[in-house]
Amino acid sequence: MLLTALILMPLLFAGIVAFAPARNARGMALLGTTLALALGAFVCSQFDWGYADKHQFGAAEPFVWFPALGLNLSLGVDSVALMLVLLTVLLGPICVLCSWTAITQRVRTYYSWLLVLQAAMTGVFCARDVIFFYICFEFTLIPMFILISLYGSTNRRKAAIKFFLFTFTGSVIALAGLIYVAWYATTTSGGRFQGWTFDIGALESAARTMSLRQQSIVLLALMAGFAVKVPLFPVHTWLPLAHTEAPTAGSVILAGVLLKLGTYALYRFVLPFVPEAVVEYAPFIGVLCIIGILYGGLICWVQTDVKKLVAYSSVAHLGFCVLGLFALNNTGITGSILYMINHGLSTGALFLLIGMVYERYHTRSMKELGGLASKMPVWATFMVFFTMASVGLPGLNGFVSEFLCLLGAFQASSAWGSGLWGSLGLQPGATPGDYGPWFAAVAGVGMIVAAMYLLYMVGRMVWGPLVEPRSHAHHAHGAEDPNALPRDLTPREIGLLIPIAALCIGLGIYPKPVLDALQPPVSRTIAHYEQLRNSPRLTPTAPAEHASAQDGEGAP
Amino acid sequence: MLSQEHITGHAATAIDEGGMLTMLVPALTILAVVLCGLFAAMRVKNKAPAFVTVALLAASFVAVLMTYLNLGVEKTWIAHGFDWINFSWSGSENRKLTTHALIANFSFYLDGLTILWMLFVTGLGTLIALYASEYMSHDVGAGYCRFFAAFSLFVFSMACLVMADNFLLLYLGWEGVGLCSYLLIGYFYKKPSAVAAAKKAFIVNRIGDLFLALGIMLIYTHFGSLEYTTVFAQTETYIEALKEGNLEVIPATVQLIPLLLMGGAFGKSAQLPLYVWLPDAMEGPTPVSALIHAATMVTAGVFLVARTYPLFLLSEHALPAVAWIGALTAFFSATIGMAQFDIKRIMAYSTVSQLGYMFCGLGVLTSVGGAFHVFTHAFFKAMLFLACGAVMHGFAGQLDLRKLSGVGFMRGWKVTTVAMLVGCLNLAGFPIITSGYWSKDMILGEAFANPHTQAIGWILLLTAGLTAYYTFRVFFRVFVGPVQYEMGDEHHGAHEDAHGHGEATHAPAHATHATPHAPGWAINTVLAVLAISAFAIIPFTYSHGGWVHTMIEGSTARYEGAAAYLGHGEHAHGTFLGFEAHGALMVVSGIVGAIGIVIAWWLHYAGRTTAATSRADALLPKLGPIPRWAQHKWYVDEFYDFLIVRPLWVLSNIFHFIDQYIVDGIVDLFGAAPSLTGKAVRPSQSGELHSYAAWMAGGMAVLILIVILVAT
Repeated sequence: MLLTALILMPLLFAGIVAFAPARNARGMALLGTTLALALGAFVCSQFDWGYADKHQFGAAEPFVWFPALGLNLSLGVDSVALMLVLLTVLLGPICVLCSWTAITQRVRTYYSWLLVLQAAMTGVFCARDVIFFYICFEFTLIPMFILISLYGSTNRRKAAIKFFLFTFTGSVIALAGLIYVAWYATTTSGGRFQGWTFDIGALESAARTMSLRQQSIVLLALMAGFAVKVPLFPVHTWLPLAHTEAPTAGSVILAGVLLKLGTYALYRFVLPFVPEAVVEYAPFIGVLCIIGILYGGLICWVQTDVKKLVAYSSVAHLGFCVLGLFALNNTGITGSILYMINHGLSTGALFLLIGMVYERYHTRSMKELGGLASKMPVWATFMVFFTMASVGLPGLNGFVSEFLCLLGAFQASSAWGSGLWGSLGLQPGATPGDYGPWFAAVAGVGMIVAAMYLLYMVGRMVWGPLVEPRSHAHHAHGAEDPNALPRDLTPREIGLLIPIAALCIGLGIYPKPVLDALQPPVSRTIAHYEQLRNSPRLTPTAPAEHASAQDGEGAP
Repeated sequence: MLSQEHITGHAATAIDEGGMLTMLVPALTILAVVLCGLFAAMRVKNKAPAFVTVALLAASFVAVLMTYLNLGVEKTWIAHGFDWINFSWSGSENRKLTTHALIANFSFYLDGLTILWMLFVTGLGTLIALYASEYMSHDVGAGYCRFFAAFSLFVFSMACLVMADNFLLLYLGWEGVGLCSYLLIGYFYKKPSAVAAAKKAFIVNRIGDLFLALGIMLIYTHFGSLEYTTVFAQTETYIEALKEGNLEVIPATVQLIPLLLMGGAFGKSAQLPLYVWLPDAMEGPTPVSALIHAATMVTAGVFLVARTYPLFLLSEHALPAVAWIGALTAFFSATIGMAQFDIKRIMAYSTVSQLGYMFCGLGVLTSVGGAFHVFTHAFFKAMLFLACGAVMHGFAGQLDLRKLSGVGFMRGWKVTTVAMLVGCLNLAGFPIITSGYWSKDMILGEAFANPHTQAIGWILLLTAGLTAYYTFRVFFRVFVGPVQYEMGDEHHGAHEDAHGHGEATHAPAHATHATPHAPGWAINTVLAVLAISAFAIIPFTYSHGGWVHTMIEGSTARYEGAAAYLGHGEHAHGTFLGFEAHGALMVVSGIVGAIGIVIAWWLHYAGRTTAATSRADALLPKLGPIPRWAQHKWYVDEFYDFLIVRPLWVLSNIFHFIDQYIVDGIVDLFGAAPSLTGKAVRPSQSGELHSYAAWMAGGMAVLILIVILVAT
């Protein structure tokens, strides 16, 4: 019931906002998101942390939706999903508050879509049914499309369409993969038709019995969909455009939660569904991550649009996150999940800060802005703080997750198969890979690159002699705009940054509760990989067994 | 990989409530940060932040001292604060249930090395904060709170670095001091050069940090723990094997660890090839240069090697590499220091050079000598910087030694000049009466005492002469001679606030600063205390380190005669040209130092009539382009720029181009195909979303079909 309420609450308020008077829209939206946050906190307090790997709060009798296809509206969260739900409901009121003065046109449309978006994102994390998951996953596109195309900046139309097309195309392919798994599951034992099910848990156990070849195809389909969302190199190009053109709240949600839908889906579907294929191709995905880290990072370094810089930094950061995920060990996956939350906080905050400057100066160009520390010291303090969180400074949140992801990659060799090297015609040696440390070392160069571009940004925006756009100086000293914001941050703006800053420090200094809470579900995910490692079917030196496995189980 | 007895058998460790006193150090320093932050928020316009900081740092010094007096250094103590990154999980390895843990707590490891470092970090921190209360007084109400907040945060980070009981907390302190260094170098943030220097320091340090991080990961992977106690318990068996001469039993991965850690140490301690950030770091306010970039932070690399000395002993190449890099850095930066005119930069290059000596000390197996030199250097180098800072403060930012002369003969500069002289004597290694002589001599003697490191000894001896020369070049040019000066043109950027929003309105001269002003009580007190303590530490430390020796003997840095491959196992003693090395060097290094001083006197003092000219001017052209190259720092910055920064910049732009036009273009092409077909087939379709939905249904069916066909 609680989770249903958590999804319905924003929807209810979306309806209220849509029909209430426009001047009440932002107030109602704030109320709705705050109530959702309170409800989220309540869910968190009711969650049984002793069984963090069990999906809790699911109704005993799931609402049967379409019995012929076994479609249920079943919900439930384990600790991983719960943390992401909490991140979503936390960013809710922050997004409403950061739009408080920025959105003046069509406010009702804006806030109601914002609320619908929150409901859809919550639904993704709570879903225990593939179809419900997919509906929510896809439904996030529509509110986001509208937010970008109606409230974005100059190039918003192109950005919105590109965002939509990219992610939509990808996720259709992923759906094909998921439906194939469901179809396979109907006939697992002995070719008898058993009826459809879309329950994630049931599909999980069925999918694992697929042959390596089948798993590889499903992996390809799922990656096609989810990698776009993450985004991984080379399907990341929608992200900089969408981020740059989106309104501030849109960027915050995009960086904070929407990208995490991709990584969450990788965690929820790819890792448990097709473990053998994952083991084979993890090094290949790792290479893509590393390319993303370095390539994305270096591109950041030559940006002049500050929002685009932060957008590209997400490509680099999410590379670390996925690298940790595909390290297939406890440290890596724990770090990766923590990374999802930390990136949402620190990058979300950076987008907020850039939005605050944009609202004052109406430019994002670092050629027209500089040395703002002398004019906006409070803003500058937060900017430096969140930059340091983003750069992975120990003591703040980013470090814990980044270090764990890299440590995971460092130790990944034992979990990885030889798929990559095999497909390249290389034989990595008697043990499948002492190359994990190399992955960590090359990815670690990304830490240096991150310092390069983030300090370049801070050096331009915060430090140095003051630079303001010429039009702005004219505007400010000429006609006094009655709605003009004061120079430095208002109490409202400070108020919405402080909780994020507090969480950054909290998760950096005392991450233990979160780390502990993540262990049961992560260990459950890992357990299967450990079984695989001990089972003869995966021995990479025995290709003949692969073939026989395929013959035996391939034909349904 | 080791039996349980070895781990429990490591008896040196005890856990005691008495150690909890040290928890006060991070607590007090963080309190200072928070209070300075509050002062900033309340827009306090007086010196309160400085005095709060001084009081709290003094309290933390007392806490360290009390800990030392209570616990002593015979045993190693662990004081547990709280769990930081701490989690465990169970897995299965070959069908056996195994439990793993990643533990890096906020806990402190208290041995002689920790106490030694913490004593001078907190002690000098207090003194320099007091000095800064006056030095930064131009910024009261502006950056004053920011300065002291960052200053206290630095001491906090340094405490974490030094006292950590695990590698990850050390890493926290390591990056934390880097952040504070960044914030403080860039303190005058309106100056583009300061911002660039800050950025450079952070990024170059990060290069080292990557090696350190990889080293830590390798330690965790190999030893299964990040905690010193567990790791060093395991290295003990290796050390035993080494003592018997079995280098083969040590796995290659273990031998790789110190080489990685070394990368981190060379970044933080500004050694070749990563030293380039430290001279630029002089853009920061002088108290920062004194505390962070001379006395404490830059010795963190030396600390790291000393802390992980057992690991360094396990590698055949690690300590020789440390010694060679140290010796080459010492010589190389001394040559640059000789040719500079900015007195703060000269001090910066001398810091790089002296850090090289410290690494040599560790590298030639006298960890006591290395630590001893860190300890004495902390005092006299801080004093030299503070004296230079007093000059800079009094002469409106003037640092050029060609524009200052005879400062010592002016009114009110006596204390500064005496402090400068004491500092210079120490740095030059003036025999017997200076602590710098004793510590440098110990390293030199040990270098010659080992037949394998004779060459290093000669480099260091030559460098000692160069050091004495460039040190006294500053003294003879600036502090004695005819009284002549030219005021600087700025006052630490503090005046830019008065000129609106940093627009380039350079007032020709600031009337208020047209005449020099002598330092006040805070600066003089600190200089006097440091000058006295530079002598006062001699009785405790002379002759093989004395007190420092007892501190190091009870720590991880003790040398256990294990490194047979370095020649010590055979008890083969090297000599200095046939004489017993230690005894001979006491005489020789004194003579070399004296020669350097005399040359400086001849070239830069005797017969000098103006500030700008000296006898050296006639000599320099005879050396060809060498002095010019040295003055341009051998073009290393330009070389790095040409070799690394430019190509990377070009590459980034190429990537950006590829991303915008090629990667995106290809994807657009794929995207365009269906929508073009869509337009051709159904031109009348109204909404784009509708057509997508229709195509989705059709496409979905095809896709599923494809997946099924391919997969089965």
